[in-house]
Amino acid sequence: MNDPYSVLGVSPQASDDEVKKAYRDLARKYHPDNYHDNPLADLASEKMKEINEAYDTITKGREQGSAYTGYSGGSAYQSQSYQQSYSSGYSAGGSASYAQIRSLINANNLAQAEAMLNRIPNHDAEWNYLMGSIYWRKGWMDEAGRYFRTAAMMEPTNAEYRNAVQYMNHGGQAYRPAGTGNMTQTDMCTVCNSLICADCCCEMMGGDLIPCC
Amino acid sequence: MYGYVRPERGELKVREYEQFRGVYCGLCHMLRKRYGIAYRFAVNYDFTFLAMLLAGSEPVSACPRRCPYHPLRRTACPQPFPGMEAAADYSVILAYAKLRDDARDRRFPGSILFRLLAWAVRPAYRKAAGLRPAFARTAEDKLKRLSVLEAENCASLDAAADTFASILQAAAEGAEDEDRRRVLKELLYHLGRIVYLLDAADDLPDDIRTGVYNPLRCRYTLQDGKLTPEDEAALRTTMQHSHNCISAAYALLEENPYAGILSNTIYHGLPAVTQAVFSGAWRQRNKKERSRL
Repeated sequence: MNDPYSVLGVSPQASDDEVKKAYRDLARKYHPDNYHDNPLADLASEKMKEINEAYDTITKGREQGSAYTGYSGGSAYQSQSYQQSYSSGYSAGGSASYAQIRSLINANNLAQAEAMLNRIPNHDAEWNYLMGSIYWRKGWMDEAGRYFRTAAMMEPTNAEYRNAVQYMNHGGQAYRPAGTGNMTQTDMCTVCNSLICADCCCEMMGGDLIPCC
Repeated sequence: MYGYVRPERGELKVREYEQFRGVYCGLCHMLRKRYGIAYRFAVNYDFTFLAMLLAGSEPVSACPRRCPYHPLRRTACPQPFPGMEAAADYSVILAYAKLRDDARDRRFPGSILFRLLAWAVRPAYRKAAGLRPAFARTAEDKLKRLSVLEAENCASLDAAADTFASILQAAAEGAEDEDRRRVLKELLYHLGRIVYLLDAADDLPDDIRTGVYNPLRCRYTLQDGKLTPEDEAALRTTMQHSHNCISAAYALLEENPYAGILSNTIYHGLPAVTQAVFSGAWRQRNKKERSRL
């Protein structure tokens, strides 16, 4: 195994807090939510495993080395799944070939899954959902969204289809390093306006925030 | 490509800005050396990004160089590295493919200029295609596919964007490590998708005027020559999706000497350019920045 400190990107002299912070940041970076149904999910999960192992090694080593007893719970992010499992849940209600198509999609065998879907004449909700999943894996998000919406419209009570539509509507999520958030700048005018607003509100309620106005 | 993939200058460190300029100049020098002075027109920000993305993780040493365009300024260019050579070859292949495409798009008198230019670039293209046969084949196939889609007024954004995205994806084939190649392919596919959609959004007013194919016009309903607010939001969401895929893939890449510039381009540059294209400020900004480098 690699040196656990270099895996977390900290020096062996780093304090426990620094180690924890580095671990948390990396765990946020490779969190399963960022790789929801992503073709690279397996790589991210490997990375996550490596980070968890490194963190456990360091904390255990430090516990034994010193009388440190602050943190002993092991790593927090272990048992989350990266891959949305197509074989569970609703496939039980579908036909046998849908289950087979789901497992093909899970194995990233998209061409064969698409060919099988195209042979099914009846385009019901699950058909649309699976077609959407294939397009999603291919990176064709606009088409994927259309199929997911059709599926959800045909069967509005199905939570799986609804979740897919919701996920498409907000554009997914990804890790962004600290300080690179949305570039909505807060300038002095906004600050003053907010203060004046707050002052007016206070005055309405009988109090006062800015005594001079 | 079109110059959409660039770092946000205000967020770069001075050291990074100089590094970026070095790679840009280095790419220009390399094109001159490999293909002749006329080919420096093929340099742009997108290929500078590609060169930096394809760089290995070992540090790059710099050598100060002058060039005929800026005889008084010495720029610290990096020693040529394989990623930069690849980016130079890809840029020539794409420039030629694009000229051919432009010539096909236009009617007789207008097409002559592009035919002549394509004819002039052909020897360089042959050399580049000989060095990167897989990329040249993909570029040719996918551009052919795009012209078929254009002819039938294809209403699928994804099908149209897939052509350009696949070309850019082919630039990852040179990576030796299997995992790295997978990550680069995913990153470049979605980068290509975003660039194609940005270009479509940017060209929409012109395309409506001239009647040229634009996927947005076929996919969405237009109001007074513009997308409706709902359609614009839908388009931006799907682009945001691709952007998230780029970020997810980028997080899995090993850091290289240009990590600062690359993450600036992904986390600041692309969102800023997207914002500028949709607000209409892009064309002016583009002109201003070109004259400053």
